[in-house]
Amino acid sequence: MPCNLFSRPKNPAYTRYARRMAVASVVYVAAVMAASGLLHKHSAATPAAVAVALLPGLAVLGMLWAIARLFVELDDEYLRLLEVRKAMVATAVTLAVCSMWGILEIYTDVPRLPLFFVFPLWALGLFVGMVVNRWKAP
Amino acid sequence: MKNRLKVLRAERGWSQQDLAEQLEVSRQSVNAIETGRYDPSLPLAFRIADVFGMTIEDIFQRGE
Repeated sequence: MPCNLFSRPKNPAYTRYARRMAVASVVYVAAVMAASGLLHKHSAATPAAVAVALLPGLAVLGMLWAIARLFVELDDEYLRLLEVRKAMVATAVTLAVCSMWGILEIYTDVPRLPLFFVFPLWALGLFVGMVVNRWKAP
Repeated sequence: MKNRLKVLRAERGWSQQDLAEQLEVSRQSVNAIETGRYDPSLPLAFRIADVFGMTIEDIFQRGE
């Protein structure tokens, strides 16, 4: 059976996950775009600014909730193992990169990495996790 | 853990997909168990044994 990096086994849990993740992703992108339009660099952290910044955070919570539901609803134990491994790889990549870059930021003159990029980095780590899964279970 | 899943499946003329449908798991799961990349949980091992009408010990053995 031909399969590529992004192909998934048929399981209703994946369909529900994709739907939830799509909604949360649209909210996230819209919230980030709204924040970049409404807020300006070096603005005062007014309650309104905090409220605008809260929206992407809530969308991230939505994405993590979608992943958590996938872990619970996936009734195939092997597929669940693959999903958990993917999330673990993403977490490992994120923490390792942030720790390394953090040391460089403290002791050298590398550019500052805004904390905002931690979640996109984790999402990139999910892709690395997908590659690891393919490599270990082709 | 070693297993005789591939041989037992071939004896019955089942594809991995056929067995996966009977076990209500993905074909990837059957493939991972057959190739020794994944050891099933005890409940899944019992389901596999039931499908073949054998005991767990008849299908799975100790060792790499």
